Amino acid sequence: MASFASRLIDALGPDVVRTEPEDLAVYGFDAYSDNTLPSAVIVPGTAREVAAGVRIARECGEPIVPRGAGTGLCGGAVPARGGMVVSFARMNRVLELDVRNRRARVQPGLINLELSQAVAAHGIFYAPDPSSQKISTIGGNVGTNAGGPHCLSYGTTTNHVLGVEYVDGEGTIHRTSIDDAGYDLTGVLVGSEGTLGIVTEVDVRLLALPEEVRVCVAAFPEVESASEAVSAIIAAGLVPTALEIMDALITRAVEAHYHAGYPENAGAVLLVEIAGTHDDVASGESALERIARAHGALSWRAARDQVERDALWAARKGAAGAIGRIAPNYYIQDACVPRTRLPEVMHAIEGIARDHALPVGNVFHAGDGNLHPLLIFDRRERRQVEAVVDAGTEILRTCIAMGGTISGEHGIGYEKRETLSLVFSTDDLAAMGRVREVFDPLRGLNPDKIFPSGALCGEVGVRAGERSAAPA
Amino acid sequence: MIAPRGRSSAVPARFRLGGRAPARVAEPADARELAAVLASAAAAGESIVAFGGGTLQHAGNPPQRYDVAVRTTHLKDVHDYDPRDLTCGAGAGLTLAALARTLAEHRQFLPLDAPLPRDATLGGTLAAGWAGPRRAAYGRPRDLVIGATVALADGTLAASGGMVVKNVTGYDMAKLYVGSHGTLGLFARVNFKLLPAPALQRFATSRFDDEVRDRLIAHVGALTIPPTALLLRDAFTAPADPEARSDAAEIVALFEGSEASVERAIRDYRSALGAAGVAETRLCDGDAARSAFQAVLDAYVATPATSFTLLGRGLPSRAPERAARVRAAMQHSTAEAAGAAHGWETITDLLTGDVVARFGCRTPSAVEEATAACAAMRDALGSAQLIAAADALWPHLDAWGPPPATLATMRALKTRFDPAGVLAPGRFVGGI
Repeated sequence: MASFASRLIDALGPDVVRTEPEDLAVYGFDAYSDNTLPSAVIVPGTAREVAAGVRIARECGEPIVPRGAGTGLCGGAVPARGGMVVSFARMNRVLELDVRNRRARVQPGLINLELSQAVAAHGIFYAPDPSSQKISTIGGNVGTNAGGPHCLSYGTTTNHVLGVEYVDGEGTIHRTSIDDAGYDLTGVLVGSEGTLGIVTEVDVRLLALPEEVRVCVAAFPEVESASEAVSAIIAAGLVPTALEIMDALITRAVEAHYHAGYPENAGAVLLVEIAGTHDDVASGESALERIARAHGALSWRAARDQVERDALWAARKGAAGAIGRIAPNYYIQDACVPRTRLPEVMHAIEGIARDHALPVGNVFHAGDGNLHPLLIFDRRERRQVEAVVDAGTEILRTCIAMGGTISGEHGIGYEKRETLSLVFSTDDLAAMGRVREVFDPLRGLNPDKIFPSGALCGEVGVRAGERSAAPA
Repeated sequence: MIAPRGRSSAVPARFRLGGRAPARVAEPADARELAAVLASAAAAGESIVAFGGGTLQHAGNPPQRYDVAVRTTHLKDVHDYDPRDLTCGAGAGLTLAALARTLAEHRQFLPLDAPLPRDATLGGTLAAGWAGPRRAAYGRPRDLVIGATVALADGTLAASGGMVVKNVTGYDMAKLYVGSHGTLGLFARVNFKLLPAPALQRFATSRFDDEVRDRLIAHVGALTIPPTALLLRDAFTAPADPEARSDAAEIVALFEGSEASVERAIRDYRSALGAAGVAETRLCDGDAARSAFQAVLDAYVATPATSFTLLGRGLPSRAPERAARVRAAMQHSTAEAAGAAHGWETITDLLTGDVVARFGCRTPSAVEEATAACAAMRDALGSAQLIAAADALWPHLDAWGPPPATLATMRALKTRFDPAGVLAPGRFVGGI
């Protein structure tokens, strides 16, 4: 019998299939550090090519791992058991644009930002904007149900996906729509990290650009007071389009790199975006400034024009990259807490980092309660690596204890799968496992992701313990 | 095995569905009891239909088997509501009106937009997959759910999501349960993200003549500040006296937001209407606006003794055209009906694309007339589901129409979640 690679080449042609070691090496990892080489990579141009590849992989018993831009931070695109990586680099177009009904049909390899750029002339945009949006793809965003700063008022990827075309684990192509009668297959596919199907087209909802957008920056003496301001803003029933916090460490790194105009001497900065009618933006800004000042804001400034606004956002979204200038290595954690717990959790994180003797930077979607502590370390120091792992887990446990959860937007992937049982009981996971069994009975789609090891095999490997105080 | 402690009682008539009465009604006191009721019923091979307020029970087929009605009445506590978090959890049996009252105390709201909120429950509204007019502005109910605990057929309680507004921890199971019509499991509790209540709500109603319809639609479609709901209502009634027949068409809009934005939006709206030749608009604010909007929502499922109602989804730009087609189909179906009372009504949602069409038959038992009209209306709408029906007609109507191409996957999900087929058998798409 012909080898896996030669069968793929026979079916799809040499242009679509990569098997050279130097090609495979690139697909062994994503933004999460790991390195497991695939046996083959396909770069299909159509859903039918995806389906053909999946059928061959299935016949050869090879796992299948879909991949967008590889910006995932949890190893979702790492071929944990080898097999075939499906790269969507060639399927990167807007297929249909319906301006009147504000929807588009796009291919999964389309870069997030390029979608908004492609439709901007019509006064519309695609709302989910992960910080990686300059490189991450719509398909990858669908896989992780990606968020971003503007999810505060617009919602995450799942709220903007109207339907998908996907290839199942047996190589059959299906199409879903949230308007179809029947179960909401679209809803469960979004965020399933490639474990239920390989998305080959996405129908997205687009929104009208607001009449006015204003971006403001407030300086605070420290992260706690900035967090208190955010809690107070939400409690006052104000939901601006974005509420982001950067602490002193991050702000300095960002300013050194971008010179965007953030106050460098602040203990923390709050980035606020308000959008809507001229009236609402003006009254919104004064209400927000009032609350910020009441909670210790030292300054408040609105960006003068779009150039300034764009600079502030570019710096904010490039924060993780800017940290690369000052830290040998960093580990970015992703967790979520109810918004009233922000000041408390920020205080706890500071304590955890101190206990482990690790510098910590915080850049996060404060309005959503979505934290991103960056633990700074040197991977050549084994003890520091261990400290980072321990501190990361402790942060997650702290968030769970506060009624939060272990991932707000990055996903579970490979990295956090064992942690999932801190949040969910055996019964909770069994229900999710049933869905997995229906979509992918052979478990060939992105194995070793999301589910704790053993959870899908009927083994008693999952504990019910340590549920959050407010489970769903 | 735990014996179910859910109270049972003699079965009142209102639990009958499609001519079937359950052997008993269980009213579990909490989520654990709910799960125990399911476990023991499933073990005994008894079929279960969840019963919230019963307001959307006709949205779907009558159950093929029906042994136990499980009432969620007692699952009505509000859990974990800290208004400062803009989130809350609540029991599936809580009515929408009760929750709205609690939230209003803190100037917050949850735009589920279901009919009959004094009876409608959270669990029932979500299970029925209800999605009302304001979803264009605020998202669908599915988008407002941040966590859910569901009792499954095997008697386990399965949670997903949580109490945070952004969460990608595990599969988004609530999406599957929302709109599953109780065929995969029964909601025990649900967590929502909430919205701050708008400072001002203003409701606008205007009659219009058919000849200005297209211009009107074009003008209101170009508004800079769209309302949060924008609907055309058309009604035709033919009493027994043919001289008294009447046509009526009106456009209704709900504006919500700050006072300044609403004032400006209303000015633009009135000049758009004026430009289309619609001169008069009646306005109301606050409680009156909320009541007027709720009356429109209630009309979706109003069921005069001889009628049934379909709801079709589609692109907003095509909604007026689909509505015109379905009106023509209904007019054609009533053409033979001279001399008997009958009528029809449509609601055309210009923002979401929903078209609701209610057809009134000549007699309560006009089964042939109803089934023929239902098929013609479904053809006109593209696809449509039944959302209300007179009891006598209901068992004869196809609630869902042709299933989508993904039916095999849906069947497999049903089998995996409910292998014995005891949850709401036959209620759902494709006989699920």
